[in-house]
Amino acid sequence: VEGRPPDDAALAERARRGDERAFEELVRMHQSIAFRTAYLLTGSASEAEEAAHTAFVKAWQALPRFRRGAPFKPWLLRIVANEAHNRRRSAGRREALRLRATAAHPRGDAAPSPEGAAVGRELRGKLLDALAKLDERDRDILTCRYLLELSEIETAEALGLRRGTVKSRTARALERLRSEVGDD
Amino acid sequence: MTELERSLVALGRELAVPEVPDLTPRVLATIGPRRRRLAAPSRRLVLAFALVALALLGATLAIPDARSALLRIFDIGAERIEIVDELPEIPVADLESTLGERVTLDEARDRSTFPLRELETPPDRVYLGEHDTVWFLYGDPVSPRLLVAQTPFVRLDEPALVKKIAGEGTRVESVSVGGARGVFLSGDPHFFFYVDENGDAVSDTARLARDTLVWSEAGVGYRIEGDFGTGEALELAESLRQRR
Repeated sequence: VEGRPPDDAALAERARRGDERAFEELVRMHQSIAFRTAYLLTGSASEAEEAAHTAFVKAWQALPRFRRGAPFKPWLLRIVANEAHNRRRSAGRREALRLRATAAHPRGDAAPSPEGAAVGRELRGKLLDALAKLDERDRDILTCRYLLELSEIETAEALGLRRGTVKSRTARALERLRSEVGDD
Repeated sequence: MTELERSLVALGRELAVPEVPDLTPRVLATIGPRRRRLAAPSRRLVLAFALVALALLGATLAIPDARSALLRIFDIGAERIEIVDELPEIPVADLESTLGERVTLDEARDRSTFPLRELETPPDRVYLGEHDTVWFLYGDPVSPRLLVAQTPFVRLDEPALVKKIAGEGTRVESVSVGGARGVFLSGDPHFFFYVDENGDAVSDTARLARDTLVWSEAGVGYRIEGDFGTGEALELAESLRQRR
């Protein structure tokens, strides 16, 4: 499965040749991760919706240059991340990360996961506060790697970095987060 | 995975993300038929035109007499950068066709897949070219003063660049552009460009203007071509920023 549906590349290839129905399928398949990525990077549902919408439109326009056989998701997420950054900056919202954690129902679960249970209310609040204090680069890399659970390669592609840079920058961002949280 | 990393993953799963809206109808209503690029000449043909035109451009900028006329056009903070102006007209093959489709600045902002950086002074002409490169031309195609290129999904491959062009009359200087690593090229106008996300060279050896500053940042490759020294090029580069 390798992290993406088997027909992802085929759909992208058809869309690349101008097939709108194939692109429609791609939008349906990826709109959730696109919106979630944009939301975590902007902290605003309305900005996230606009960023995701614009990213899909730009992806459609840019598809003729899309490399045949390449994975679609990281390519799309890079456009989404760029749009989200653009909107965040235009809105002067660099420092505002207005995220909150749900009290009891982790995404996709009826009950808290074991990890979720371990993260108490206080720690969640501290983590969110600490993330909001990090600079944009640190926050983006931690958002991609952990909150969105993207792999190093996907994070590298989404943020336009080398894989080695993702590794080193993640380590430094974790150190800064640890010192903000006061958790050592 | 450390405890902190596990906590972040758990936090991600517990974040209150609003319900995902169905974007499909709006996206489909917006996209419409794709815009076509310029008559779609083959890449080889475009590269050939580019080599010819840019070699001519490089030659033009290297003409000593052409450097006598200076025009102050770029305001950067309290400073002004002097860029060669009033170059003699030369039969540049068709610089425009090597740059791409001519668009307005607003159109470039709308169609670009990445946040465009701009100088304080708006460009005289804007083009969308291969690899989604956005070109800002200052001057006109027969009297170019400055070219700024921004290409998404690429990064500067400094070791490859240095290996390919070091020596042979080309001076290569490693520089820092606002903290990002870059290269300032002067002397013989050889050029090796970026690599894309798959590690492939985006553009092979080419001939550009006499002096070129190249760097990449956040997945976008930038280059500025003109007739300037390292300091002026860096000031121009650092004044290139998002303005919307």
